[in-house]
Amino acid sequence: MILLQLLINGLVTGCALGVVAISFSLVYSTIKIFHVAHAGVYTLAGYIAWSLSTRGVPSLLAFAGAIAFCALVGAGIQQFLYRQLERRRASHLVVLIASLGMLAVIQNLIAGIYTPNILQFQIGWSQTTLRVAGVLLSYTQLLTVAMGIAAYLGMMFFAHRTALGKRIRAVASNPFLADITRLEPKRVYVIVIAIASAVVALPGVLVPLDFGLQPYSGVNALLTATIAMIAGGIGSISGAFFLAIGIAVVQNLSLLVIPGEWSIGVTFFIFVIFMLFRPTGLFTAR
Amino acid sequence: MTQKLRIVLAALVSTLALAGAAMAETVRLGAILPLTGPGAVIGTQQQRGIQLAVEQINAKGGVLGNPIEVIFEDNQAKPDQSVLSFNKLVDLQHVPMIFSAYSGPTLAMAPLATRKKILLVNGGAQADKLADASPYLINTIPTIGGEVEVMVRYLMSQGKKTGAILFENDAAGISGRDNYLKYYPAGGGTLVGQEPTQFGQTDFRPALLKVGAANPQVMLVAITAGLQQMAQQYKQLDQKYQVAGTSFFADPQTIADPAAEGFIHTQVRIDAPAELADAFKKKFDANFDFFAKQYYNATLVVAKALEKVLADKQPVTGENLRQAIFDIRSFQGLIPMEFKSNTATMVMDINVMRGGKDVRLTEMKSE
Repeated sequence: MILLQLLINGLVTGCALGVVAISFSLVYSTIKIFHVAHAGVYTLAGYIAWSLSTRGVPSLLAFAGAIAFCALVGAGIQQFLYRQLERRRASHLVVLIASLGMLAVIQNLIAGIYTPNILQFQIGWSQTTLRVAGVLLSYTQLLTVAMGIAAYLGMMFFAHRTALGKRIRAVASNPFLADITRLEPKRVYVIVIAIASAVVALPGVLVPLDFGLQPYSGVNALLTATIAMIAGGIGSISGAFFLAIGIAVVQNLSLLVIPGEWSIGVTFFIFVIFMLFRPTGLFTAR
Repeated sequence: MTQKLRIVLAALVSTLALAGAAMAETVRLGAILPLTGPGAVIGTQQQRGIQLAVEQINAKGGVLGNPIEVIFEDNQAKPDQSVLSFNKLVDLQHVPMIFSAYSGPTLAMAPLATRKKILLVNGGAQADKLADASPYLINTIPTIGGEVEVMVRYLMSQGKKTGAILFENDAAGISGRDNYLKYYPAGGGTLVGQEPTQFGQTDFRPALLKVGAANPQVMLVAITAGLQQMAQQYKQLDQKYQVAGTSFFADPQTIADPAAEGFIHTQVRIDAPAELADAFKKKFDANFDFFAKQYYNATLVVAKALEKVLADKQPVTGENLRQAIFDIRSFQGLIPMEFKSNTATMVMDINVMRGGKDVRLTEMKSE
């Protein structure tokens, strides 16, 4: 039974990380920016939802408000930071450092406003548990799985079946050609970061219901998401999503044979193996 | 005009000289506490405990007429930051003593305290290594070994003879684990597993499941952050083993959470008169909890030592303050305590979290 429970726990965690990974992958494969500040947007979502929820806003509205706010923050980062740096022909390294700086600003703002303590985020149903086939799951965990699957399928549909999705893929494929064919890459970049920020806000509001809010918690999630994105194959939504789930499951199941402090080591071991034997990632980007 | 300017300047110089003379009587002390980061809930309460004690001492005219001032530094519970703060307080502010908290940071500062002869007073950290980390480190709280020994005796009396350990992978947690490894088998128990977590980690499910799979009667806990999340996940996973810990369990949010119902822990007894608790509540809009009381008490100990040093007309140095503590030996602050060594000895309770409150089950004494 412990095997099954650990497997399910890994799946739940993986679904949340998978959504972080696909949103991060969307930004990286389109704009080619290592958008580290994404971790800050992920963290911010939970705090905004908490603020609204504690002020009596119904939970669904609070979540929607947080998602919308994060989309605006993401668009703002593109418009007022990355675009300005691009105008100045900043190198990738400079943009990465700027993104790290933005992450630090967001984290410190959160810590300044909300205190750096672990904040408990609880709403009526979040702690209620259900026994499904002998496995105990909280409503929050069930919702996280449902959200993860919905976000993955939604992202696949969006990327392959909608006009905007196809336009984004065209821009990602060749920004120069996209520019001369009036696909407006600069506008697409703003839209991409806004969408990615809204998507990352989904686990951003759900995960704190389970583990509380901490200003600096987004970095660990982004680390696993980055590994999943690279090992899954840059540009592949499925690769990022399923690798994130795989990593989380392995991290959980590894506890059966090794002590818990080695689980992060397991993640990096998987990464090294992939880099050695399949450096282009598990799934090839289409 | 020149004459007027001279008069004004003379007045200014005189005022500054007088102010300097007045300031020289103020005894400046330091405190290096986690005021931000995962340890901030406890660190802030520790700071408030010191602030209330200092305010009350100064309201009564200070220590033999000398007001006390405490300069606070935030170490985020990090050892490296603590060392920087220590050097800043000692080299720039010339403080003779510093309040410290958390085992890792205190252990990092201990060699510096020895070298620079600065008195370190710890009222919250409990790693065993603190007992002999430095002759200049005074612990106004028993080490975790003392608490674990008492808890093991209680568990054995309750027939809880199989246990597993959940510990934080840092100085305090490892110290706790080592004590469980030492005292639990020695008391007649059998340990069936041990699981580490990281400081600040809030996903305890895998560790709780692994502990549960070992089927212990009791989970012996040595974590200092994320206790409430651990309690909630324990409840969600419907785990049945008893959860036992030490004074680290004295977290008001966890105690108030129904998920922690039935958790037991050792508690260094430290009672406060109602008027003192009210004064604390009025000043900080917070309850006068365990760690606030501990640092209030530690401040009283330091003030008493300072009084002796001043009365003996000795310079206020770390060395003299330390010697004064051992000369006085018995202190009657919020709790009677005695310094037979660098670590105080005192009475301990076994408490249970029941109905959102921390209820005393029985009283025991550390051997």
